[in-house]
Amino acid sequence: MSDFHQTDPIITLHRLGRAGLERIESEMVEFSKQRPIALVLPALYTEFQGEAIKGIIEELKKVKYIREIVLTLGRAKEEEFKKVKEFMSQIPYEVKIIHNEGKRIQEIYATLDRNGLWAGEDGKGRSAWIAYGYVLANGVSDAIALHDCDIVTYNREMLARLCYPVANPNIDVVFCKGFYSRITDRMHGRVTRLLMTPLLRALQKLVGPNPFLLFLDSFRYPLAGEFCMIADVARTNRIPWDWGLEVGVLAEVFRNYSPRRVCQVDIADNYEHKHQPLSAEDVQKGLMRMCVDICKSIFRTLAAEGIVLSDSFFKSLQVAYIRLAEDTMVKYEADAAINGLLFDRHEEAGAVEAFASAIQKAAEAFMEGPMVSPLIPNWNRVTSAIPGILDMLKKAVDEDNRS
Amino acid sequence: MLEMTEHVDKADILIGIASFNNARTIGHVVKAVDAGLMKYFPDRKAVIVNSDGGSTDGTPDIVRTATHDHAAIFLSHPVYPAHRISIPYNGIPGKGSAFRAIFQKAVEMGAEACCVVDADLRSITPEWIELLLSPIMKEGFDFVAPFYSRHKYDGTITNSIVYPMTQALYGKRIRQPIGGEFGFSGKLAAFYLTQNVWESHVARFGIDIWMTTEAIANDFKVCQTFLGAKIHDPRDPGADLSDMLVQVVVTLFNLTEKHYEKWKGIKGSMDVPAFGFRYHVGLEPVRVNIERMLGIFRTGIRDLGPIWLKILGSGDFGEIEAIGKLSGKAFRFPPKLWTGILYDYAIAYHKRLISSEHLIKSLLPLYLGKTASFIMEVEDMDNEGAEAEIERLCMEFGEKKEYLVNNWREGGA
Amino acid sequence: MEGFVDVMFQPLEDFWRGFISFVPNLLVMIFIFILGFLFAWVIGILLKRVLAVVKFDIWCDRVGLTALIRKGDVWAKPSEVFVRILYWFLVILFIMIGLTALQLPTIDNLISQFFVYIPRAFSALLILIAGYLFAGFLSRAVLIAAVNSGYHYAKILAEAVRLLLVVLILAMALEQLQIAPGIVVAAFSLLFGGIVLALAIAFGVGGIDAAKRIIEKGGEEKKEETGEKGRDIEHL
Repeated sequence: MSDFHQTDPIITLHRLGRAGLERIESEMVEFSKQRPIALVLPALYTEFQGEAIKGIIEELKKVKYIREIVLTLGRAKEEEFKKVKEFMSQIPYEVKIIHNEGKRIQEIYATLDRNGLWAGEDGKGRSAWIAYGYVLANGVSDAIALHDCDIVTYNREMLARLCYPVANPNIDVVFCKGFYSRITDRMHGRVTRLLMTPLLRALQKLVGPNPFLLFLDSFRYPLAGEFCMIADVARTNRIPWDWGLEVGVLAEVFRNYSPRRVCQVDIADNYEHKHQPLSAEDVQKGLMRMCVDICKSIFRTLAAEGIVLSDSFFKSLQVAYIRLAEDTMVKYEADAAINGLLFDRHEEAGAVEAFASAIQKAAEAFMEGPMVSPLIPNWNRVTSAIPGILDMLKKAVDEDNRS
Repeated sequence: MLEMTEHVDKADILIGIASFNNARTIGHVVKAVDAGLMKYFPDRKAVIVNSDGGSTDGTPDIVRTATHDHAAIFLSHPVYPAHRISIPYNGIPGKGSAFRAIFQKAVEMGAEACCVVDADLRSITPEWIELLLSPIMKEGFDFVAPFYSRHKYDGTITNSIVYPMTQALYGKRIRQPIGGEFGFSGKLAAFYLTQNVWESHVARFGIDIWMTTEAIANDFKVCQTFLGAKIHDPRDPGADLSDMLVQVVVTLFNLTEKHYEKWKGIKGSMDVPAFGFRYHVGLEPVRVNIERMLGIFRTGIRDLGPIWLKILGSGDFGEIEAIGKLSGKAFRFPPKLWTGILYDYAIAYHKRLISSEHLIKSLLPLYLGKTASFIMEVEDMDNEGAEAEIERLCMEFGEKKEYLVNNWREGGA
Repeated sequence: MEGFVDVMFQPLEDFWRGFISFVPNLLVMIFIFILGFLFAWVIGILLKRVLAVVKFDIWCDRVGLTALIRKGDVWAKPSEVFVRILYWFLVILFIMIGLTALQLPTIDNLISQFFVYIPRAFSALLILIAGYLFAGFLSRAVLIAAVNSGYHYAKILAEAVRLLLVVLILAMALEQLQIAPGIVVAAFSLLFGGIVLALAIAFGVGGIDAAKRIIEKGGEEKKEETGEKGRDIEHL
């Protein structure tokens, strides 16, 4: 059982009492009549060869409050796309698959590109963004939920709890992020535990009380890939196409909406997905790239808020971060001990070193090009520049799914 | 018989009266204005300018010859009455064009303080002149908006559209921004003349909201003044409500576009200084035809669905369909929904989704639904209760402003 | 015997002479065809470059032409579509010109008719596009005005207006294209007149009872109104 502490400024919704899947799902069915929900699933074809997706689909088949599923399929050839279409046809409600590599969608990207509205490199950010566009084009859903397709411990309750705050008309929430613990025989989520939290605390030490940092720090799992939002957020937010997606999304929400309309919700007792290798040597690979992009995203947002980031600032930040990260490690060691979890101090320390290096790389990249921004233009901007783009996107996806 | 004089070069005070075939009522208005000037500004040179739209009933003659009894207003000695000028105006026939002529005269004569009053007012008293001009002459304000005691059902365009939107956008709570009688400084009159709006809806019903908004948005000192009840001759019942709505709302949205840089950063709203002694006034009962309003609203849901869906999206349209099924006294139009609708219309206007005239005219059934709901909600309330409902609506407009700002922006910035 | 041989070979000789005089024309025609294909191909390449320089694709995106092309499930770039249309137009043009080289009167006649027809086809297309937009605009204006007046059959009225305008525009376009003009005029007159007559009967005869009810209701309301105190609501 969790506590019921509220971290300002956002709303925190806990798991309290007994889980009531039937109750929450029946309420969701009622809410969805007024606020239809679309579920966006960014996926790679390789995920359809794993086991996690089968479990997810089995659960989704039983969900009665989702209006439509929009799955963006990346890195798939034509035959693979057809296989995925067939696989997804077992879902009894509307499913549309966006074939990212298909000629129609590629032509959409080309149209955006020649109009100076580049949608970024292939990745989760762009996949989510194009799916939002389809949801807006289709015009039947009022809220959008998103989660990954590699969740091993997926169950319907996760989805219901994720969507509930946005769907419930009595809770005035525009954006809701999931949080959870990630435990097997040990604690996971190193990037959140050992990079995000100490980094944010270090920044607050240097910068002083800052609304954006307070906002980010109030999230218990800021890097969670599960969130739900009203469709308006999809229209107005710019999505980062790089690995700083999760933090970038939060930064945009902070920029556009009042924090008291943002919430986080405990969606699972335990959560597990595929693990990424941590390679300190090559910043392009694996988790390191993600760490660098996350840090860049935070630095960019702070700079936009008027905070001056200089070389000396970053030097102090490194020192402060390492100190705080080491303190945090000690705390987690105690947490692991009382809960009988494995704790490899050497591995944790290695991760901290790697993250410190990521912060440095991010600082260097930021200083070289502070204006470089991996943000995809929001759909409002795109539709004013290219009238009919949403209709084109809808046509492309509908035709791909018809044939 | 007073002689009319046309040859007045300078004046400290200018009172403008726009008219068109108002012979029945304008005499009373002129007498009240004259008395007010004599009583409260006896040592100032004043002129009454009647901007006439080509009356055929002798309105300008009445203006020239109206007289009153000094003793009745406690003046112990006769004072020279104000000079009176009757001038025709050019441009699109309407109140705005008439006001433009008045602004021109004010600037020509170097007037320090001016005010405009309707020609069909029955409830005007000499005190109105003091209330409209003193804030300018004595307190240094540039713009004085009126504040009337009105029936709780009256002024629904003000109560549900103009007031909530103006206070949310510009942060100033002017309760009746389209009241009709205004005070303004000579400086503000000169500013009004620099604007090129006289071929638009501003020339007709849009003039009131335009004057108020331009005064606020350009940082002139604004205030409001309590004038009591406003009783005037019944207006032409054939005046098309959808036309009035179009003129006021198009002007409102044009101003919203023009002043985006000003209002986007404003958060919250504050009261403006108020003058006059507030008192309760017994008001004539008002007839309402709720069934007709709801009939038009429901017909709109059935027949204008595709248009509303395009402007509002499926979420809000779904809610409209749901409330359309509520019958009788259960019918309620939630303030949150109405706020979202107004902002969506403003955004649709800004993005030129469809022809602006069609756009605003399609708002009418929604407006009538909201009006019907408001009337039913406040039926058993007194005026204070009704005012509290309006303030609740204003809060919604303020809270949802970020939605308007976010969706207004282009360029991703 | 000699005479018999002459008669036997005469048709062959005539044919041979005719063939000899026809062959140059045929060769000219083939040459023009080949020239046409080459010319269209070169023009296509040049046009593609010019369109790229003037950012034709971006212009099409911004004015909504790309969206229109996509509705037809065509996913090539607008400049490619335009170049292809022009390419085939030039090819057809050269085929027409090539055929005139045969100097056959029937073909000459057909070709000149074809060239005369092109401007008519173009103006018919303009009439259809402009007419379609106008019909939509007017129909929407009627719909909104009727709804705002509390008219119960607003949608039917608006659709009737749209239908009438569409019939008119189609007739105008067909008249431009000179497709059976006499029949089109007659059919249009019958259809248009028929629709108007049907509406008149529906609203006139069929509406007698409804009109009666409205008048009676209006009278009652007036009686109620004179009894009822107060004035009408002031919206402004």
